[in-house]
Amino acid sequence: MSEAMAPFRLIRPASLDEAMAALAVEGAQPCSGGTDLLVRLRKGLLEPAALVDLTGIAALRDVVCDESGMWVGAGATLATLARNPDLAAYPAVIQAIDSVAGPTHREVATLGGNLCQDPRCVYLNQSHWWRKSNQFCLKYRGDTCHVAPKGNRCRAAFSGDVAPALMVHRAQIELAGPAGARQMPLAEFYNEDGAAHTALQPGEIVVAVHLPPPGPVSEYGKVRVRGSVDYPLAGVAVACEPTPDGLRFTLAVTGTNSKPLLVDIPDPLGEDADAFFAALVKTVQKAVSPQRTTTIAPHYRRLSVAALAGRIARRLAADAP
Amino acid sequence: MTGAIGKPVPLVDGVEKVTGRARYTADLDSRDALVGRILRAPVSHGWILAVDTARAEALPGVIAVVTGQDCDMTFGVIPIAMNEYPMARDRIRYRGEPVAAVAALDAATAAQALELIEVEIEELPACYTPAQSRAPDATQLHDKKPGNLEREVHHTFGSVAEGFAEADLVCEEMFDCAEVNHAQMEPHAALAEYDPEEERLTLHSVTQVPFYVHLMLARCLGMDTSRVRVVKPFVGGGFGARTETLNFEIITALLARKVGGKVMMRLSREESFVTHRGRPATQVKLKLGLTKTGRITAVNCEVVMSGGAYAGYGLVTILYAGALLHGIYEIANVQYDGYRVYTNHPPCGAMRGHGTVDVRHAFECLLDRMARQLGLDPFAVRRANLLTAPMFTPNGLMVNSYGLDECLDKVEAASGWATRKGSLGPGRGLGLACSHYVSGAAKPVHWTGEPHAVVSMKLDFDGSVTVLTGASDIGQGSTTIVALAAAEVMSIDLGRIRVVTNDSVITPKDNGSYSSRVTFMVGNAAIGAARAMRAKLVAAAAKKLEVEPDEVECEGETFFVRGSSQSVLPFQDVAIAALAEEGTITVKGTFSTPVEAQGGKQRGGAVGSTMGFSYGAQVVEVSVDEATGQIDIERVWVALDCGFAINPLAVEGQIEGSVWMGMGQGLCEETHYIDGLPAHANLTDYRFPTIADAPPIDVHIVESIDPLGPFGAKEAGEGALSGFPPALVNAVADAMGVDVNFLPVTPDRLLEAMIKFARTQRRKETMT
Amino acid sequence: MGQGMKRVVSLKINGREVEEVVPDNLLLVDFLRDRQGLTGTKTGCDGGECGACTVLVNGRARLSCITLAASCDGSDIETIEGQAARGRLSALQRAFHQHLGAQCGFCTPGMIMASEALLRQNPSPDEAAIRTALGGNLCRCTGYVKIIKSVQAAAAEARS
Repeated sequence: MSEAMAPFRLIRPASLDEAMAALAVEGAQPCSGGTDLLVRLRKGLLEPAALVDLTGIAALRDVVCDESGMWVGAGATLATLARNPDLAAYPAVIQAIDSVAGPTHREVATLGGNLCQDPRCVYLNQSHWWRKSNQFCLKYRGDTCHVAPKGNRCRAAFSGDVAPALMVHRAQIELAGPAGARQMPLAEFYNEDGAAHTALQPGEIVVAVHLPPPGPVSEYGKVRVRGSVDYPLAGVAVACEPTPDGLRFTLAVTGTNSKPLLVDIPDPLGEDADAFFAALVKTVQKAVSPQRTTTIAPHYRRLSVAALAGRIARRLAADAP
Repeated sequence: MTGAIGKPVPLVDGVEKVTGRARYTADLDSRDALVGRILRAPVSHGWILAVDTARAEALPGVIAVVTGQDCDMTFGVIPIAMNEYPMARDRIRYRGEPVAAVAALDAATAAQALELIEVEIEELPACYTPAQSRAPDATQLHDKKPGNLEREVHHTFGSVAEGFAEADLVCEEMFDCAEVNHAQMEPHAALAEYDPEEERLTLHSVTQVPFYVHLMLARCLGMDTSRVRVVKPFVGGGFGARTETLNFEIITALLARKVGGKVMMRLSREESFVTHRGRPATQVKLKLGLTKTGRITAVNCEVVMSGGAYAGYGLVTILYAGALLHGIYEIANVQYDGYRVYTNHPPCGAMRGHGTVDVRHAFECLLDRMARQLGLDPFAVRRANLLTAPMFTPNGLMVNSYGLDECLDKVEAASGWATRKGSLGPGRGLGLACSHYVSGAAKPVHWTGEPHAVVSMKLDFDGSVTVLTGASDIGQGSTTIVALAAAEVMSIDLGRIRVVTNDSVITPKDNGSYSSRVTFMVGNAAIGAARAMRAKLVAAAAKKLEVEPDEVECEGETFFVRGSSQSVLPFQDVAIAALAEEGTITVKGTFSTPVEAQGGKQRGGAVGSTMGFSYGAQVVEVSVDEATGQIDIERVWVALDCGFAINPLAVEGQIEGSVWMGMGQGLCEETHYIDGLPAHANLTDYRFPTIADAPPIDVHIVESIDPLGPFGAKEAGEGALSGFPPALVNAVADAMGVDVNFLPVTPDRLLEAMIKFARTQRRKETMT
Repeated sequence: MGQGMKRVVSLKINGREVEEVVPDNLLLVDFLRDRQGLTGTKTGCDGGECGACTVLVNGRARLSCITLAASCDGSDIETIEGQAARGRLSALQRAFHQHLGAQCGFCTPGMIMASEALLRQNPSPDEAAIRTALGGNLCRCTGYVKIIKSVQAAAAEARS
């Protein structure tokens, strides 16, 4: 018998309306594939009164592709999306999906769940005994962030692979909640706060992601120790598209901050390519702020993700039409 | 040879494993058992002022609570170094050390009960590194251990000063190797049942050493050993984690006695990590002297191990580290200084390649670098130092068989070294290293004078042969080896043989599965038993055939007169005839180590002594990502001299597994503590390689036929491990020009080293 | 177990209809091991890290240690115990046995179930596909060499 989870009620709505009603109750927690949530429940990192299992809602699994782009339901599993031929037009997204955890996780993990994945920290993702021995932490039951004790916010690192890939393709995220539906650029969905990293309000869930029609070429690169299973120590998605001024790059980084970070590259690729890419690498180095949230040094995560960004950007530039 | 051995055979217990029928400890029927759970210390070091269990005991569903006060006996694997209590009594020495335990009706109640136990602690300053522990003002962890030195060793053989004077090149370097853990797939578990009417205890556990567990249970519970029964079910790997009695085994037994019934204890993965007994963080300062031709003239080696809070196997580990400087190359002058230091971390212990891995790493790295300076090929420098068997090393180790030269030839040819080395292109490289390991310790840690191994055998009316052994199969295939040895000697079908293992009321005592002793010792004992049984059958056949026993041959389950094809008796008829003489036939075979194998006269000289060493050479090919420091292992070529491969399939499996485990230690495995709290205690942060990282491993078996080994066999499950990390580091040097002196070579460390190297190169260039 | 909600679940386990009352917070792995006695499915980690608990749910590989039993209502579950037919090993079981894909055997049930899911979707996987499909299943004994070989052998046998 595994360590018992605190008791909760499982609710399995068949429609979005039923889900909204179930989620309106205090202490209700939405749940999809559970690959992130169940692990946290087992560690006692949250004690919801009810789990609202969204996997029975067929509408959330829809994937529609038309001239306006792609509408991807939040309930679509990563395994399904990896096989979706339309999504292949957004290469970084497919690469990011394939690099998430292990294949068995991807079988049930959903796009919405991955985007909402809880930020991670070596002081947080531990057993109850561990956290209690360490006087808990700012994010849960404690009052100090052990990563940055003088600060007043949680530094846990956003560690999802897919968000940055969607961001460089200018994805919009669609939410539904008690106050109705709303939509925003995915980049604006996130906050730089490990304890409250998304814009989700109580009772609100992610319904879908909307991708504009394919345009830029893109690639996702992940810094990891092992070839499978690992969360990104850092990851970077790069998109590149031609403009009248030259090739323009869009970058988004994961694993270094409490939110996936859009990195602004103001100028297009100019005459001096070497100088441009060197500057791009420096820009990434400056933009990210990895903390001691993993056992691997922050400095390395900064250097390696920037180097990876530079390499991918060069490759995309070389392949650009 | 009659055909049972020397060809690949699936494991005799393999079908149970692939069907899910194999029962491991946590799988045993525990519907009528209480759930056991352990309360663990929240601090690294402190005095326990009070433990109040009243509120926990009052919780409905809690049947018993035990604390350090329930057991005042220490336990440990080395009789002179038992300094650990199953639960801390007055003092806590590491975070996670058991303080109390509960038995409850269900897991939720047990967890709740732990929250209700109040422990009042007065914290003491903690030491996490040998430097902190050895500082003059450091708090002493144990009485009579000033300076927190658990054991220091100073061994000198030959004349080291003269040796260095003779050298053309002398180099010294310092290597830092991180602590690693076995991370066997099966988390720890124990099932204990106590019958207060009979005053008997039965424990099922995940152990590699049921005999040692048996002794410690009797000691800690104050019971006569005859009232204790220890059973080892299927075990999901060990790698040394379970080569000594572990605290949870005793705690489960204490709970079972207190409740007068059955308690199931299943530790979490985190608790399994905290129980630890892994390879200690080790610092090796190594100085070698080489002549121009690559002959090693002298070795000076200083080793400091961060041993954790209790003795465990510590003194053996620090002795092994020095002893196994010998036995692989011809070296006359060796000085070794070893320091095993207590720290406030979970206790270290034995892990695959016990004692030798980090020292071998330093040795093979430095040897390679010096060869480079001397303009010698890595193969040449090793060939310049080969031994000639039989011989005794300066520290008294017996070497009867030696296949290292052949191992070198094999991997040199297979890897295409001559043509590929230096021509692989940027970021790619090849590295070589050699290694060796003992085939069982010639003197056991618990010395009784008894034979090292006993195997019994029974032949009964049904014509079946039952082999009884206490040898612990932990996945390495030892049960299969015992069956094959019996089948070979008796010339009978494997299907006629059943091997019964590891139940102290049924099977003969065995010291357990550690130091790669089982094939050598138990294999020989099995041969002895089978020969005794065969003699009985041959005598019965001779009587029937009306000839002398020495005229009878047996082959393929038949008995016949040598040179005659006339009267052939089937096995069944001969068995019936033999049984008619005396009824059910029981015989046994034993194995004892010869005195000359038992090591040198120096203090601690028994450690490292063995009947035969395995020898290995391996070449590792890497590609290095300059931007991220990530290393890909492209391919590994490995050759191991295992004496003789009784079951080549299992030998291959052992070599692949040990190479791969060496790769884990080389590339990515390490523990990581934050003020004594394990930040690595899960399978996401303790990163052992996945199938995505697993390289092709090209295995070559070398058979030097050891004169004392069973059919000539030696060990095969550990020797190849310690070759990988140095071969890796040597390959990285070949690829990038950077020599690194740390393990594991994680991307962050390598990137930093490459940046530093580039900076130094630039400085050199601007200066010239 | 506390005072959480309970419900009746009906599911099929290795072809047999099962109806049981389960608490909402019961994990599928505990349901299989402790309630059904199907201890072939193993627990090797504290949740979602090792793959030893892999079973098939409606034909797809699933980590039973981070799956709620209550959410499997109406599902078809297959475990290692259901792989042999009339005592004869499945192609994968035979291959893992003959090629020593199992040493200690603890990761083996999960390995075989994950491999089974792969072969049902892709009967002729190349080595890369095998490595991808087993990427979440950890083994500490074999170095994975003979596991890859076992899956290849099983696929070859199924084709012949």
